[in-house]
Amino acid sequence: MRRSLPHRVRLLLLPGLVVLALVAEVGFVRAESTPDFRLIVHPDNPATSLTHDFVTDAFLKRTTRWGDGEALHAVDQRADAAVRRAFSEHVLGRSVAAVKSYWQQRIFSGRDLPPPELESDDAVASYVSKHRGALGYVSGNFKLEHVKAVALQ
Amino acid sequence: MSGRRARCALTFVIASSLSFFSRTERARAEDDDATSNPLSIDVHGFVSQGFIKTTENNYLADSKRGSFEFTEVGLNFTKNLSDRMRVGIQLFTHDLGPLGNYATRFDWFYLDYRFFDWLGVRAGRTKLPFGLYNETSDIDAARVPALLPQSVYPVSNREYLLAQTGGELYGDISLADAGALEYRLYGGTVFYDTADLSAALTNVTVPYIYGGRLMWQAPLEGLQLGGSMQKLRIDAEDTLTAAQTMAYMAAGLLPPNFMGNISLHVPATLWVGSAEYVAHDFSLAAEYSRWIVTLEASVLAPKTTVTSERGYLMGSYHVTPWFTPGLYYSLFFPNADQRHGRAAYQHDVAATFRYDLNAYWLLKLEGHYMRGTAGLDPTLNGNVPVSSLVQDWGVLLVKTTAYF
Repeated sequence: MRRSLPHRVRLLLLPGLVVLALVAEVGFVRAESTPDFRLIVHPDNPATSLTHDFVTDAFLKRTTRWGDGEALHAVDQRADAAVRRAFSEHVLGRSVAAVKSYWQQRIFSGRDLPPPELESDDAVASYVSKHRGALGYVSGNFKLEHVKAVALQ
Repeated sequence: MSGRRARCALTFVIASSLSFFSRTERARAEDDDATSNPLSIDVHGFVSQGFIKTTENNYLADSKRGSFEFTEVGLNFTKNLSDRMRVGIQLFTHDLGPLGNYATRFDWFYLDYRFFDWLGVRAGRTKLPFGLYNETSDIDAARVPALLPQSVYPVSNREYLLAQTGGELYGDISLADAGALEYRLYGGTVFYDTADLSAALTNVTVPYIYGGRLMWQAPLEGLQLGGSMQKLRIDAEDTLTAAQTMAYMAAGLLPPNFMGNISLHVPATLWVGSAEYVAHDFSLAAEYSRWIVTLEASVLAPKTTVTSERGYLMGSYHVTPWFTPGLYYSLFFPNADQRHGRAAYQHDVAATFRYDLNAYWLLKLEGHYMRGTAGLDPTLNGNVPVSSLVQDWGVLLVKTTAYF
């Protein structure tokens, strides 16, 4: 006869699941805040808006090409940047830590490499301005020069 | 004692090297020009050192007294030859009780060409896409638990579950509003490292291995559902001692012209159904698997087929960027038709605290409550039958990993 799990194990499991549920709730509430970033592309890029799914796939490298066949180069920001947190939560639907975990799995299984992480809005804008296939994001109040903002649908 | 000191020294040296490399890598990533240089090489690596202690029964290592034989080191190099073609290689060495013993191996190496988003091809030694986490099952930094659910990802089966040498097709297919499909199809062979096997087994080969994985990325971002299947056959020869041969002949179990070797064929079919949901800081995963394994011996034993049953439910939450607790419950029945007796099952309830001390260094504390002795190795337990080992026992794991 198999017995059910001992009482002490159930006592350990219950508070653990409650903690997980509570902190998950906090996370979902936090994610509803207004995003504070703008998507940017090279001025020669004909796109004026991008769908949420396309941007997600681009940054998770499920999509590697623009519609015209140009190679797509997504470029990220530092893991501790506020704009990275906002972008990650609002577009990718997961925290920066969860995204880094996703990339750790792909790096060490030989599947792929993450988009490069640049230091600042300036660095991202500079990169995008030099690469026709680039896609990046910058803070909402960043002054745009030599790059083009595109809307997120 | 000197061996342990040597391992500690080795770990320290590698960790120092990784720290140096990590600074180099960070500097490279910060260099705008380097990101666009097609000739740049990406270097990533990790070194893990763990400690395992059990209250009863030796598990994976000589764990009752506590063991530091729980080490993994990997270093990989990836180079984009063009925006469609990539090459990569990872060196890996590990030690886990009697397994590994610091033998350095190619964990994976490949040439990858992606024709379209929906079609890419890899050739070389590639990780097997079985379930959600098989490809990263020996990469500590890529997960929350120190030890993945051993029902579906047993470290003792690493040799034939982790990677194959051959070819692979892969791709992502957009389904518009219905989400997307990610597929992987592979076929090849496994070059078995016999160092971890019983001394009696020789000429171990894998004539074929093939399989695939299909995952549906649901319209709800972060939700994926799918399944994996794998078929392979392991061939080997088992050598009987002269005394065994005489005894079996006397019992009439062996033919008179028996030469001492038994040919073994072990065809197996493995499948797993997978579900994962990652939303914001929360992650939940569940998998259910069955492995159908047949043993065909040229003499002595009739053909037998055993189906094992495996599954788990696992959750984790990033409370802060540096603190992630996790929980899982895992179950394992070596023979789905025989579920009675302590050797017939393993229930595993595990709780993990992962601390990311900085971007390159993490620490994990993990406790397991185990019920049942299935999956235990008699040779680690003084050849005591698993049915006689202690039914209720616990495991404590401490593990630290530096990575970049």
